[in-house]
Amino acid sequence: MVGKRVLGILGILTTIAGLGVAGGASAQPIVGVPHEWQMDFPPSFTPLMEKVASLHDLLLVLITVICVFVLALLIYAMWRFHASRNATPATSTHNTFLEIAWTIIPILILVVVAIPSFRLLYYGDKAVDAAFTIKVTGHQWYWSYAYPDLGDFTVESRILSEADRIKLKPNQPRMLAVDEEMVIPKGTVIRIIGTAADSMHGWTVPGFGIKKTVIPGRLNEGWISVNNEGYYFGQCSQICGNGHSYMPIAVRVLDKPEFDKWVEQKKKSAGLLPATDVASATAPANR
Amino acid sequence: MNMAEGAPKHPYHLVDPSPWPALGALGGLLLALGATLGMHPDMLGKGVEEAIKPFGWWIVAPGFAIIFAVMYWWWRDVIVESRTHHTAVVQLGLRYGMILFIASEVLFFVAFFWAFFDASLYPNSPEMPVRTAADGGVWPPKGISIIAPFDLPLMNTLILLLSGTTVTWAHHAIVEGNNRDAVRGLLLTVILGACFTGVQLYEYLNAPFGFRENIYSSTFFMATGFHGFHVFVGTTFLVVCLFRAMDGQFKPKQHFGFEAAAWYWHFVDVVWLFLFFCIYWWGAGKAPIALH
Amino acid sequence: MATAHGATHDHGAHQHGHDDHHTPTGWRRYVYSTNHKDIGTMYLVFAIVAALIGATFSVIMRLELMQPGVQYFMGPDGTPNGHLWNTVVTAHGLIMVFFVVMPALIGGFGNWFVPLMIGAPDMAFPRMNNISFWLLPPAFILLLMSAVIGGGVGTGWTIYPPLTIQQGAGMDLAIFSLHLAGASSILGAINFITTILNMRAPGMTLHRMPLFAWSILVTAFLLLLALPVLAGAITMLLTDRNFGTHFFDPAGGGDPTLFLHLFWFFGHPEVYIMILPAFGIVSHIISTFAKKPIFGYLGMAYAMVAIGVVGFVVWAHHMYTVGMDVDTRAYFVAATMVIAVPTGVKIFSWIATMWGGSIRLEVPMLWAIGFIFLFTVGGVTGVVLANAGVDYALHNTYYVIAHFHYVLSLGAVFGLFAGFYYWFGKMCGRQYSEWSAQVHFWTTFIGVNLTFFPMHFSGLAGMPRHYVDYPDAMSHWNYISSIGAFLSFGSTIFWLVFVVFGTLLYGRKVGANYWGEGATTLEWTVDSPPPFHTFEELPHVSPTAHP
Repeated sequence: MVGKRVLGILGILTTIAGLGVAGGASAQPIVGVPHEWQMDFPPSFTPLMEKVASLHDLLLVLITVICVFVLALLIYAMWRFHASRNATPATSTHNTFLEIAWTIIPILILVVVAIPSFRLLYYGDKAVDAAFTIKVTGHQWYWSYAYPDLGDFTVESRILSEADRIKLKPNQPRMLAVDEEMVIPKGTVIRIIGTAADSMHGWTVPGFGIKKTVIPGRLNEGWISVNNEGYYFGQCSQICGNGHSYMPIAVRVLDKPEFDKWVEQKKKSAGLLPATDVASATAPANR
Repeated sequence: MNMAEGAPKHPYHLVDPSPWPALGALGGLLLALGATLGMHPDMLGKGVEEAIKPFGWWIVAPGFAIIFAVMYWWWRDVIVESRTHHTAVVQLGLRYGMILFIASEVLFFVAFFWAFFDASLYPNSPEMPVRTAADGGVWPPKGISIIAPFDLPLMNTLILLLSGTTVTWAHHAIVEGNNRDAVRGLLLTVILGACFTGVQLYEYLNAPFGFRENIYSSTFFMATGFHGFHVFVGTTFLVVCLFRAMDGQFKPKQHFGFEAAAWYWHFVDVVWLFLFFCIYWWGAGKAPIALH
Repeated sequence: MATAHGATHDHGAHQHGHDDHHTPTGWRRYVYSTNHKDIGTMYLVFAIVAALIGATFSVIMRLELMQPGVQYFMGPDGTPNGHLWNTVVTAHGLIMVFFVVMPALIGGFGNWFVPLMIGAPDMAFPRMNNISFWLLPPAFILLLMSAVIGGGVGTGWTIYPPLTIQQGAGMDLAIFSLHLAGASSILGAINFITTILNMRAPGMTLHRMPLFAWSILVTAFLLLLALPVLAGAITMLLTDRNFGTHFFDPAGGGDPTLFLHLFWFFGHPEVYIMILPAFGIVSHIISTFAKKPIFGYLGMAYAMVAIGVVGFVVWAHHMYTVGMDVDTRAYFVAATMVIAVPTGVKIFSWIATMWGGSIRLEVPMLWAIGFIFLFTVGGVTGVVLANAGVDYALHNTYYVIAHFHYVLSLGAVFGLFAGFYYWFGKMCGRQYSEWSAQVHFWTTFIGVNLTFFPMHFSGLAGMPRHYVDYPDAMSHWNYISSIGAFLSFGSTIFWLVFVVFGTLLYGRKVGANYWGEGATTLEWTVDSPPPFHTFEELPHVSPTAHP
């Protein structure tokens, strides 16, 4: 788990470094991406993921101990009771104490796991006091994000072709960079309501602790609250046909004033704001 | 293996090699291919599409023909073998087999009841806005007219329950060696089964909704349709038993073929009771009634 | 049951014995077969053929994933053909589940050894036994056709709608394939349950029955009750696709998650169907090579029963992310974790069987011990995934792939190979050569661990399943996985050539019980290979014998 902590610190450092140069709207640091030889969860970018990671830390210790214990018993038995050392086998077939013990102890371990597990389950379920809602819709093969509480404009998010990525967003990883990210303010509880247009899709960002299988005709609710600014990437997590590998999820987290600016701009281009000239004031929303 | 020749020292029946299983599996393959071609005539390319066009859905005929032939030959063999090889132990095994088969059939219907309750218990779940829009948040869905439960369906319930008593009459007659009553009871059961199927067909032809209409009609026709199919299978089974009874093949202590048919018939009966109470009656809700 | 009814009918007039009388030769011997050993052999051969095809698909996948970028799955228009990729993944999954593991463990070893172990002359319904087998080749043909006709089936083995509704004609072939395979398994299940309940040798009560027979009994009940639900679900899928019904279509009032529930109500028991027979095999091997009766026999038997029962009420843990009610999810978390308890009982009872024994590390024992450890690894990651909160981060990532390959590829398949080395001499009368078996075990052991262990890391890093390509940073673990897969595949080819054919051609001939005093079950009392008909005179099981 040390590795993860180091990664976490690294992540925070990059975030800070990124903030230092933050000037324009697209200057957020690249935070939520996989790393070479990564062996553990990414750093926790949300309070929910912190709890996920902490439960996983507990579980990882437990399962490692169990595996090592079983392996040690096996190796010891293979060595100690090998025919060359133990020519005459014992005839014991029962040991009531042992049998009760290896029934009760796993139950106790499971209870120890279950308590934080249930706590986490209910904590992650539904948003409490969400600032606003984003309606995430999976399409074959792109995402759209509607902001019904902020004027109901919609952002469509498609993967950038390799040529465009090199031209427009060269510092973002292949397969993950998109034309328009889902944009949110940092440190704000946002309700995510997922659905799908055609087949199922899976909306997730590693390090957010959320994964919503979005299903046509159904709404699937969750929440996020990202601590720091930056770009965060995930990938569609439910098989959805030909372009399944090519509909990444990209989230750009801004500070509050910048986010408000972004919202204004989106509203304006969607024709949702009372513009200065009268003609466009009555123009219908273009989505 | 014949007892006179092989003299087995055990009560089990080692069945002679038989071509029917492999032939039946071939029938299954042809039926599956035929059905897929029926649904997608273009599946194997233009040339094949042209070639099979004149046959239409008859493309499934070879598969069905083989399967029906295999059923005939196979079960004929079983009946012949039963005279010499079905010891008490073998009969017990056949009983286990039939009960297990019925158990698996029950689980088959579970799938359709599950679909029915998924839709009927949660017509206006907030997570499913599209469904709510489709069915108006009520069960049965808005705009659908349904079949009056206490009309023909009730009559069909009574018909099936009555057929359950006639088949039991036949069973008692067989146990008492009264073959004449056994034949009568079986004949009545078959007639009642046919009546049920007839009423069901009438209901289908006059149903106020079609298979494709919505989830109500889908679950209704799927569940009752598979039940109807099982009634047909059960009736056929009973017809075979009727002929066997007329031939005097059932003995007071050896008549498992009849028992299997009777069990199957009771299973079909019980499924119907669930259909009647859940889908016809409880599932009718407050919907307007169209078919009397 | 103790007295043989037929014995009184011996007229002594028969001119020939059973062996040659009703036993056709040539192709008819197999196509017309009503003999559990011949049918078992056909199942095993079929499973090996299917395994080679399924493994070839996996090698193709690992070749593609060896490096980032799309190597082989490029469409003619220069864009990646993700659908073809999905088709290969789907074919791999369905083949391995329905046409490799199930036919080999249940059809192959079950047919061969359940009657031998319980002292029955054959299965209860020998002719039905044959249709159980013969339904599989048509099902397999349909499945292979489904991969090439109508654009293939690119849905994953879970065949969720609405993606399945979008597929071409191949989907219907796949559905019918599953119908036939399902019918085969249901008939097989009826046969096994009846055989075990009705044909045990005199004196062999259920509580004295070998654990492999117990494992097949539980498995058969799972098959019997789970497969019809799948049959119903895919029938509804078929009518939704072709006849305009609305079961899974929200616009008509249906619900896509209905299919998920139905599928996993089948699918979860299905994964126990694949592992329980391996539990049975491993129990016998551990006991044989530790020269000790199995520790806590009743606990072992009822642990399997418990796993089977609980296996029916945990299905929705495959669906934590689809938006079920939180209390429902909490129930499924709790129920799922319960499964760890009987599983733990089995693991520790196996170790306790070894404890104090006189252990010989013969090749079957290596596979069995490997099974115990690797199944433990796969099992504990299952406990991790059981926690819905953690599952949100891991669902549909390579962590899940690692988990279920540890319990299946390294669990069920290790069980298969353990059984193969344990019983191959019994089945063919010749023993494998030690060096080839050792080479096979160690290369497979290293290969599969190299393949699947790094997938835990890829999964934690967030790599989703069913992906033809991945971000460049994920290349290292994928490269290692691919190397491991090639090693495993090479090892399998080595096994086929040197162990299977090598043994059949050049293996040393062996007697009835070539493992010595540790092997106590009834199959070791008959010749190797056993005569065409065994136990024409029923064996009597002593009430004091250890099961």
